[in-house]
Amino acid sequence: MSPAPPTPRPKRLSIRMYQVGFGDCFLLSFLYGQPLADGRSERHVLIDFGSTGWPKEHRQRYGDIAKNIAARTQGRLDVVVVTHRHKDHIAGFGDATAGKILADLHPSLVLRPWTEDPGLAADAPRPRALGARSRSFAASLNAAQEFSADLADGLRSEKRGLRLGLAGLAFDQVANQAAIDRLDAMAAAAGGGRYLYAGQPSGIERLIPGVGVSVLGPPTPDQWPEVTGERANDPEYWIAHRALLQRVLTGAAPRRRAQADPHRVAVRPGPERWVIERMRDQEDHSLLRIVRTLDDAMNNTSLILLFKVGRRHLLFPGDAQIEDWSYTLKSGKAAKLRADLGKVDLYKVGHHGSRNASPKSLVHLWQQRATPLTSMMSTLSGVHGHSEATAVPQPKLTTALEALGQLSRTDTLAVDRLYLELATVTSRVEPFTETQG
Amino acid sequence: MSAAYFQELRDRPVPVTQTMSLTVIAQDPSVKVDGRILTTPVRLPAEHLEPGPRGGRFHVVDYDAASGGLLPASVLEPQLIDRFAQADDASLVTDPDFRAQNVYAVAARTLAGFEAAIGRRLGWAFNSHQLYLVPRAFAEANAYYSPEDRAILFGFVPGPDGEIQTALSHDIVAHETTHAILDGLRPRLVEPGLPDQPAFHEALADIVALLSVFSLPPMVEHLLGNAGKAGRLPRARLTAESLGRTALFSLADQLGGGERGAGLRRSVGLTPSPAWSDGPAFLEPHRRAEVLVAAVMQALLTMWAERLVAITGNAGADRARVAEEGAKAATHLLHMVQRGVDYLPPVELEFRDVLDAVLKADEVMAPDDEHHYREALTAAFAGFGIERPPDVIVDLSDGPGLVYDRMNYAIMRSDRDELFRFIWENAGALGINRAWQTRVESVRPSVRVGPDGLVVAEVVASYNQSLELTAAELARMGAEIPPSLPGKTQLQVWGGGALIFDQFGRAKYHQTKPLEDWERQSRRLAYLVGQGLSGQGGKYGFSLLTPRGQRFAALHVSDAYPEERW
Repeated sequence: MSPAPPTPRPKRLSIRMYQVGFGDCFLLSFLYGQPLADGRSERHVLIDFGSTGWPKEHRQRYGDIAKNIAARTQGRLDVVVVTHRHKDHIAGFGDATAGKILADLHPSLVLRPWTEDPGLAADAPRPRALGARSRSFAASLNAAQEFSADLADGLRSEKRGLRLGLAGLAFDQVANQAAIDRLDAMAAAAGGGRYLYAGQPSGIERLIPGVGVSVLGPPTPDQWPEVTGERANDPEYWIAHRALLQRVLTGAAPRRRAQADPHRVAVRPGPERWVIERMRDQEDHSLLRIVRTLDDAMNNTSLILLFKVGRRHLLFPGDAQIEDWSYTLKSGKAAKLRADLGKVDLYKVGHHGSRNASPKSLVHLWQQRATPLTSMMSTLSGVHGHSEATAVPQPKLTTALEALGQLSRTDTLAVDRLYLELATVTSRVEPFTETQG
Repeated sequence: MSAAYFQELRDRPVPVTQTMSLTVIAQDPSVKVDGRILTTPVRLPAEHLEPGPRGGRFHVVDYDAASGGLLPASVLEPQLIDRFAQADDASLVTDPDFRAQNVYAVAARTLAGFEAAIGRRLGWAFNSHQLYLVPRAFAEANAYYSPEDRAILFGFVPGPDGEIQTALSHDIVAHETTHAILDGLRPRLVEPGLPDQPAFHEALADIVALLSVFSLPPMVEHLLGNAGKAGRLPRARLTAESLGRTALFSLADQLGGGERGAGLRRSVGLTPSPAWSDGPAFLEPHRRAEVLVAAVMQALLTMWAERLVAITGNAGADRARVAEEGAKAATHLLHMVQRGVDYLPPVELEFRDVLDAVLKADEVMAPDDEHHYREALTAAFAGFGIERPPDVIVDLSDGPGLVYDRMNYAIMRSDRDELFRFIWENAGALGINRAWQTRVESVRPSVRVGPDGLVVAEVVASYNQSLELTAAELARMGAEIPPSLPGKTQLQVWGGGALIFDQFGRAKYHQTKPLEDWERQSRRLAYLVGQGLSGQGGKYGFSLLTPRGQRFAALHVSDAYPEERW
């Protein structure tokens, strides 16, 4: 019997970061020295495809990007990863033209976080990580999205001020059904999607020889209760809020204000009226804080994937915030997952460069070594965070990353460019070369 | 209740009283004894109440955010009857009139406690005598003081088993009222300053809330848990350590699994050590506040255990008496802390100033310290590395001569311009630099009565100083500038102090935070730049763009890993 042939290993890799404004779309390509069993000598992974704010110079480009992906992959995509369900990571799949182009690339594997598993609600035996606490959390995300949909709908005529911001943030939380339907269909065509939590095998190794992938996050609330806040974990909380919201919107939305409301009593001129008239702003601030808890909870369902290829380590954390990261960085159980983080030489900057998503202790790991770190950041300034402390991207973070090595970013890319690509070898750690297209 | 019923009560002859009694929920509706919500009557200064209730200092407006409707104003006639003294649990949690009574009574009790300790009426930070209390302001597990709206807004959380109403939580109402009172006394403490400043706002609110709950004997008795035979607690359960484990931990449990309970639990469990001051986690106001709360609670336990010695025999002590002593110790400590607020600096506050102010105010009021309370407090703070500064409160009685000849003390007791003249004339002797823009913030006469009956009449004045300059200019004056800060960055730096006059109009103490303390200015700037706390146009040290009310709202949103943020 002859010995089994050695596993083919990619010789080179490239990462194409598409200019989607405020969103993410990354195409990872692994290049082998010779054709693999199916005759192709490349493998491709698409990580996220969405945006919630395009650069003002051009309208959305989902179709152009999808065509570019089809061309680059020569008609065959191996893996689609959707880090989490926010619009700025999935909306492109819901675009009729772009979604069809991607579906026609016939991915063999569609990966999403465990919260997206439609079978979670079914009463079936589950691993310990998916206990009652986790299932309750997943149900609460759905209830919270319905709450946000009602809120966004109630505020759709708002044109300015706090209400416009509230409407925008609520709209960002709403389930993008067209995108989810498209992803479900792609997953079904691939024989069923995979829904991952921390520590599980990704299934990518089977399709892309010589590439190892660790799933660092998200932990489920049963694995790591700190991943979610107390309120976000209670579906009843969101259901009750949704019921209340109808009354809040009826009472407060200007479009409907004139309508008769049996709950409303006339307020006579006087000190009561003074404070009641000021309450509307406070209600809006309150709704904004509530929707932010959902936004944070959703970000914390992000898949955190660490790709190991030869001597290269590539980290793709989606929009994971500190609570998602804390499992890998702080939990005793995750020591094994943590081991390779110090070797990362390419970092997809979490959550478009926000202050919450690149934990200082993670960056500190890279500051303690001589090897440079290359970072890629897909972002658009002026969308979120209007003070120095909350600005996205956060200048203190970008300064720290620039001190560690090259930081490639879409917000400084010329607007006529569709993407920025970094490429390198896998056998040793050497700088990436950059091209733009 | 019908109008005729009230009329009948009104027609009965009633003597004019100075106080009135109202039933409140001792902590919150989850705290039950024998299956019933624990309530207690509290005594408040009597006043005329309009429907609302609307008194001289508070106005309850029960505007229901969920429906956009205004509920009919509650009519309380506490001088005639405490309507809810015998109310069943269902009425307590659902009757809007009780909700109105509860917020009014707890807020009024908190204000009355401060006024009694400080010895004068305390005004609000905004231009009105009445603070609105809105008990159902929004559907959110939050409550906050919003000075722009002259209001404290209480949220409620809908749930399958009924609503959780923050307006029914004693500690939350007392906490928010304390924010409002402190803002009236020291309005600049919510502006960008040293890291201890926002933490102090939160800590004082927590300390007053906890000691306020703890000053109710039925509540302490409940927290002590079951007693043994004949209602006695064994000796082993009466040490400071054991009382902490039982009473304070069970109070934390009663505050719930959310941030309030977790915060107190962390506070009580915090091992005394100065190490916190180096930890980035303690830059977050909540975490930092826990240090101060921990020190004060530690002092409470020492004081309580000390009081128990006299009533403890071989068979232990009667639980009701133990609770009573705990409530007395809490009331005493609460007054010590409240009294100290007048001796705090108006700007640039640090935790050590809190210790200094509380001790100095207590030395004036209770010179003998027969129960060694000051020792207990000093030791508890020392455990956390907080030492009393030797030279921040300057004793003027034995210093250089001050000139009074050009002053009229009768006018100076209440006139800011006259007081400014006093400062101007005596700036050299007081160590106040005339070069900086100086303003007198407030001049307030007070009459305090100490625990031993000592009457102390004082006038307390506070002033501040400010200077606007660039980072490069500040560096030339001697401050250290963070390397990342461009030299042309606009900065605002502050200083100030408090002057305490005796009943004869002689200045006796000067609490001083000189503007030209460049080491302190360097620390402040490093903190503001490190936290990104800049105002409009990237300037530092100026007021922030966020409305003050929203800053208080944000204070109550917990931040799990502040040290990991950029």
